[in-house]
Amino acid sequence: MTDKKKVAILWLGSCGGCDETIVDINELILGVVNSVDLVLWPIALDFKYHHIEKMADGEIALGIINGHVRNSDHAEMAKLMRQKSQVILAFGACACFGGTPGLANLRSKEDIFRWVYQEAPTVINPKGVCPQTTTRVDGKELTLPEMFESVHSLDHVIDVDYYLPGCPPPPYLVLKAITAFLENTLPAKGSSLASHKALCDTCPRNASKPNKVAITEIKRIHEVEADPTKCFLSQGIICMGPATRSGCGESCININIPCRGCFGHIELVADSGAKFLSGLASMIDAEDEAGLEKISDQVRDTMGYLYRFSLPISIMNQKRLQSDEVKSDD
Amino acid sequence: MKEKEPKIVCFSCRFSWGYLVSEEEIAARLENWIPIICTGKIDPVHILTAFRQGADGVLILGCPEGDCHYQDGNIEARKRITLLYNVLKSYGIERERLKLHLGADPEGKTMPQLIKEMTDTVRKLGPRSGDTTTQKKSATRTK
Ligand code: SF4
Ligand code: SF4
Repeated sequence: MTDKKKVAILWLGSCGGCDETIVDINELILGVVNSVDLVLWPIALDFKYHHIEKMADGEIALGIINGHVRNSDHAEMAKLMRQKSQVILAFGACACFGGTPGLANLRSKEDIFRWVYQEAPTVINPKGVCPQTTTRVDGKELTLPEMFESVHSLDHVIDVDYYLPGCPPPPYLVLKAITAFLENTLPAKGSSLASHKALCDTCPRNASKPNKVAITEIKRIHEVEADPTKCFLSQGIICMGPATRSGCGESCININIPCRGCFGHIELVADSGAKFLSGLASMIDAEDEAGLEKISDQVRDTMGYLYRFSLPISIMNQKRLQSDEVKSDD
Repeated sequence: MKEKEPKIVCFSCRFSWGYLVSEEEIAARLENWIPIICTGKIDPVHILTAFRQGADGVLILGCPEGDCHYQDGNIEARKRITLLYNVLKSYGIERERLKLHLGADPEGKTMPQLIKEMTDTVRKLGPRSGDTTTQKKSATRTK
């Protein structure tokens, strides 16, 4: 028997990047692995879900969950982890806010199935085969998880104790979070384990930002040779820094790419996309209404800018998982 | 079954709209009316929240151009609204459902009429494409 704290790492609708960032702690991970008892980590270790089912409630000290919730399997696993864990950490932009997959919420589930199994130009499916939750093959019943109407952040499905944003979270923040957990220095429940400032407040280009930014034309980053020393917004390039939590280490800014918002909103902001839109509007410098329309048209893919990582928690889109979405809940 | 009367939420700036009469008097004539000080105060968050809570249309009454008590709050509002149209479109909400009207009416007598006109416009569009959170109707593919 060991008295090490039990830690479980689980992926739901995930690309694997969040697991990779844990591996990227490099040799320091060995220290972490030595000080905890890892009971689940599907991407790296061979443990089975039924081992978790057999554990006592609250037996896991820390449950780390990455990825979004889109189907009944994700929801079931999330609920199991909640039941067995004392502390749940939503890890990465998908678990925290729904992440990039959340942009799928601009389409209905039917639309997505139609496109993927019928209409996409690369699809040849004359029989119209489409996955079903239950299929009979040779007298046996096969089942698949049910896809929900929309993508959900983890806290739409279970109670979440802490949030570690990022796409993925940088290794130094992962290490900081795990250390805080091991040393019992985690902040108040519900906190984000990243900075409490906006990215602009920590951005090295902030000093170059004029008091009043006046945008007369919006350009896309690939269309111009951006000045690597000047604030992107002052160059007419959309940068989500004003509405995004800091803590990433300015990794995009440092390679001359504007912020896309993967650290999500700052405390008390209800909808960071709407907030950013408000700020952007005030920077627009147009002669008249026609000029204003023209600049507005230059914002290509508005939703992709405003809600790249956060559509499922936006004002218009957010909703907790409805029980009627889960048809086979009983 | 009779079609439901469209719900219009109206924000109006107190400086140009109905400042000669009491708020109670205007409120008695208008449903879902929100008096504010300066349209520059209205954030996209407020407009989206109105739609989220079931508004079929949002009408914003601001002061005439050049007449804002805070210099350019009405122009700020216009900029926000123009950008917000792109967002609404993605949710399948037609442009006509959000309108900024700049003008002045100290007694607020024309407000019911302006709301009625907006109601008529919105009625012609038909019901809003369902609850935006579970859009059945496919929104146009964004540009
Ligand atoms: S807008 Fe972007 S480039 Fe400008 S200061 Fe903020 S984070 Fe830096
Ligand atoms: S600059 Fe923005 S998008 Fe890039 S890593 Fe930081 S928070 Fe994420």
